[in-house]
Amino acid sequence: MTAKRIRFLKEFLSFSGIEPDRLRLEWVSSAEATRFVEVITDFIDQVKELGPSPLKAALAAQDLN
Amino acid sequence: MKETIIEKVKDLFEDSRIEAFLGLKEENGQIGPYLFTDPKDLEGFSLGDKEWPGDKRYPLSKILIALAQKYPENRFGILVRGCDERALNELFKWNQLNEEHVVMVGFPCPQELAEACECPKPYPESLVVGEKVKGIKSKKVEVILNMGMEGRLKYWTERFSRCIKCYGCRNVCPVCFCNECELANDDLIPSGEIPPENPIFHLVRAAHMAGRCIDCGLCEEACPVGIPLRTLYKKVADIVDSEFGYRPGYQKDQKSPFNILGERPED
Repeated sequence: MTAKRIRFLKEFLSFSGIEPDRLRLEWVSSAEATRFVEVITDFIDQVKELGPSPLKAALAAQDLN
Repeated sequence: MKETIIEKVKDLFEDSRIEAFLGLKEENGQIGPYLFTDPKDLEGFSLGDKEWPGDKRYPLSKILIALAQKYPENRFGILVRGCDERALNELFKWNQLNEEHVVMVGFPCPQELAEACECPKPYPESLVVGEKVKGIKSKKVEVILNMGMEGRLKYWTERFSRCIKCYGCRNVCPVCFCNECELANDDLIPSGEIPPENPIFHLVRAAHMAGRCIDCGLCEEACPVGIPLRTLYKKVADIVDSEFGYRPGYQKDQKSPFNILGERPED
């Protein structure tokens, strides 16, 4: 069910103008500490590469109007 | 067209197939929902066309939920356009209405209205009168897709910033029937703050419409600040269709992909 929702959400975010790569679904067991670190580090790198969310600027532009 | 429908409704009463008929009635120059319990009242019956076709539409299926809860033993006839029928099909699936207690009396929308609505199916299956007109493919979604990421975000945040949180979109929605609405939860959406958190408020509602919205467009008609909600929900429906092959309101025996576990989708 979650996998379905994420699939939907990614495309929905894109239609709203938010990069779908800011969302990721991973399954990590509580016994997989190493994997958890890997997944999070990788995702942090991915988000850093995308840079600050465009949402803040878009909302700031609304306030000026 | 109207006369044929009136005759059909009279027949339903005479054959004791229904105890009441939910339709529209014109009174003192105003058209509104009306529960006909006596065929004699059908004189003021209206299809909801006042200034132009379909300008007086109401979520009759939603009103029927309240009536059916109050009178669970009774059978109701109901006036339906294509969108009303899709709404009822969903409400049967979600166990909000008992199909056996509902008799649909359907009529088609004119081409003019179908085009204004960009309606994919401007006629019901339960057609008792008139000709089926051609469904229209939406162009509005395409326009937004062509704006690019930055343009889309600007477009939607500007539209959502107009929201006065009147809940008109939710209140008029024929498939909004949750007993508790998270969008009215004070901890999540603090009262007295407008616009509600942009864009979260509207994106949450849109995501909730996935597998539900039957594309009637009443939300957009009700919106006092002109947020193009129908276009947003049309895209939601398109995604659900392309990902899971499901369109709400069309197949009676198929449930929303978000309502059944089904097979695991590919990542």
